[in-house]
Amino acid sequence: MITVENLTKSFNGAPVLRGIDHAQQRGEAVVLIGPSGCGKSTFLRCLNQLEVPESGRITIDGLTIECGGPLTKAERQRQRELRIKAGMVFQSFNLFPHFTVLENISQPPTIVKGLPELEAEARARELLTKVGLESKANAYPSQLSGGQQQRVAIARALAMDPLVMLFDEPTSALDPELRDEVLRVMRRLVEEGMTMIVVTHEMQFARDMADKVLFFENGRVAEAGPPGQLFSNPQHQRTREFLQRVVVR
Amino acid sequence: MSLFNRCRLSPLLCFFLVLGLWFCGEVRAVGADRLQEIKQRRVLRWGADAEGGAPYVYPDPGRPELLIGFEYELAQALAEKLGVRAEMVQNQWDQLIPALERGNFDIILNGLELTQENQSVIAMSQPYFVYAQQIVTRRRIEGLDRLEALKGKRVGVLSSSVAQRLLESAGGIEVKIYPGNVESLRDLRAERIDAVLLDLPIALHYAKPDPELKFSGVPFAPGYYAIGVRKQDMTLLEALNQAIGSLAADHTLERIYRKYGVWDEHQESLKMYQAQAVPAKQPISTLREWSKYLPLLLRGAVTTVELSVLAMGLAVVAGLIVVLVRLYAGAPLCWLAQAYVEIVRGTPLLIQLFLIYYGLPEIGIRLSAFWAAIFGLGLNYAASEAENYRAGIQSIPRGQTEAALALGMSRWQTLRRVVLPQALRVVIPPVTNDFIAMFKDSSIVSVITLVELNTADGMLDMSTNDYIRLGLMTAGIYFALSYPASIFAAWLERQLQYDHR
Repeated sequence: MITVENLTKSFNGAPVLRGIDHAQQRGEAVVLIGPSGCGKSTFLRCLNQLEVPESGRITIDGLTIECGGPLTKAERQRQRELRIKAGMVFQSFNLFPHFTVLENISQPPTIVKGLPELEAEARARELLTKVGLESKANAYPSQLSGGQQQRVAIARALAMDPLVMLFDEPTSALDPELRDEVLRVMRRLVEEGMTMIVVTHEMQFARDMADKVLFFENGRVAEAGPPGQLFSNPQHQRTREFLQRVVVR
Repeated sequence: MSLFNRCRLSPLLCFFLVLGLWFCGEVRAVGADRLQEIKQRRVLRWGADAEGGAPYVYPDPGRPELLIGFEYELAQALAEKLGVRAEMVQNQWDQLIPALERGNFDIILNGLELTQENQSVIAMSQPYFVYAQQIVTRRRIEGLDRLEALKGKRVGVLSSSVAQRLLESAGGIEVKIYPGNVESLRDLRAERIDAVLLDLPIALHYAKPDPELKFSGVPFAPGYYAIGVRKQDMTLLEALNQAIGSLAADHTLERIYRKYGVWDEHQESLKMYQAQAVPAKQPISTLREWSKYLPLLLRGAVTTVELSVLAMGLAVVAGLIVVLVRLYAGAPLCWLAQAYVEIVRGTPLLIQLFLIYYGLPEIGIRLSAFWAAIFGLGLNYAASEAENYRAGIQSIPRGQTEAALALGMSRWQTLRRVVLPQALRVVIPPVTNDFIAMFKDSSIVSVITLVELNTADGMLDMSTNDYIRLGLMTAGIYFALSYPASIFAAWLERQLQYDHR
């Protein structure tokens, strides 16, 4: 369902992605790991076009974006369609502070898809229940803890009915005791068969939930495989070093 | 919360404190003998306005760093008689009397008319010049040759001049008040007004050589120019009278006046002048008789409010367009918006108003003073609002835009639904600040003949000579207008608060 071919990206001449290929089936959960600056977050942001890649091709659910061309109006329209298919959860939550929790979830489908308000609200309440925050519907984001905010952010992304969920270090900004509530929601999504790509340092989550783990190093996928193989028997020297460091830490 | 309330009260307290201090009594400095002082420092300081001041005192067109004019030469001659040097102090003409009372200079020598109003506040010497009023119109206009014929017409005058008093007491004339004589004649040429009434020497210098304009009828309402000194400086006055007498006797006056083309047979009567006793006039307290003066000020305040609200409305909308173009449009448009902000911000509002009001008619765009003022103020403030908005928009974290885009919103939806609502709260305080500044800045439009609160104050100053108390009353009205705006803004800010932590 997701195909990425030879994706490249550089910042001010410094290459960050040096030709990434990736294929993923519907319902698969893929976890990206690697040292910071290796390009895993950039790859994720390229997938929904928050970063514009220099070249390569991205296909999600039959919608193909040829990267590197000029941004025409038609191209922008395809970009938006792609973003609707790919929901994103950020490290820093990025909830809209001027909306209530409920509005954060119900407004985007209304604005983007023209979903009737009542329908959007009903769906928002459903999703809030799903992430265990139905009592916070009328609170403002600033009144929630970080873990609660991130759960709302997940519900907000789900409200657009995405085909794939992209998680960009969703627990890195959280205190350890708040991480579990977010991870629990993510585990449940995997179990329900959501297609996911997760950038994270949570090795336990990767071990338990991933169908496939990609180890990023210096703008390339250095090693890929099922978690059992990659964690217990890494082929690549760099992978071994990285895993040693995170496990020791 | 209580601290907040106390903070808000303090400006009110300060205001009444100052008000109270002024009431404590009239403060009049009584110094040493002025004549002695002048002789000791060997300089006679004379106050005058050289801006549009020909033929009285003005920069020599050939060598603009030097001043000339018949009063300039008269001042030299007078100083010579006193055995000192003359030094001119530049001062706006309609503020010469308060500046003299403050002690900015020793005498006023600048076409100051010998009237009872003036003599009720300052002492005046014997006259040195006989002037009369002259009506000037455009070449094609016929029949406006007497004061009575001006009824129902729009007539320009110099602020605080005898001509203004004449027109206002005649009644039925639409009087347009100008800060200088050049501006009124320019508006006459631009057909905004039908005639200008002004002192003959000014008319001779500025209007006579202009082929588009003509003198209509003969000069009338003759009067005298005399030197003004503070009431307590009687020895100085005595010395000046003697000096004027001897300059008249030895034909120095005639020689100077002929040089500037302002000599006529009426000047002969100067020698026969007999001082008349000035009937003692009760000084007017505008505060005690507030019911008479306040309505006039309030009428000016209505114009101030209309002006500020409309101009600010324009600024708020135009500023938003400018900032959106600057931040989100393509290269050429974006540069244009940036250039607009820089140029408007980097040039004085006064000059912008002049260009809009006096300059645009030359290319066929003739706005009324009211609309010229609204466009001038509004477009000027638009630049400032655009910068306020830019600061507000850029203070919203990038993650907000990214989150909105990632949800599939278009750039416009992101701006309208996510960025601008948050930026709004950030920009309310600076925009309110500008709105209050606008209330006060709007007083500048008096230069294009609009009578708003500040001008109304200036006009009453002239007829009552009660500058301080009128000024306080006017300041009080400005405060009463702007303080509710502050309260409203604070309320609005609270309404938009979503950070309830």
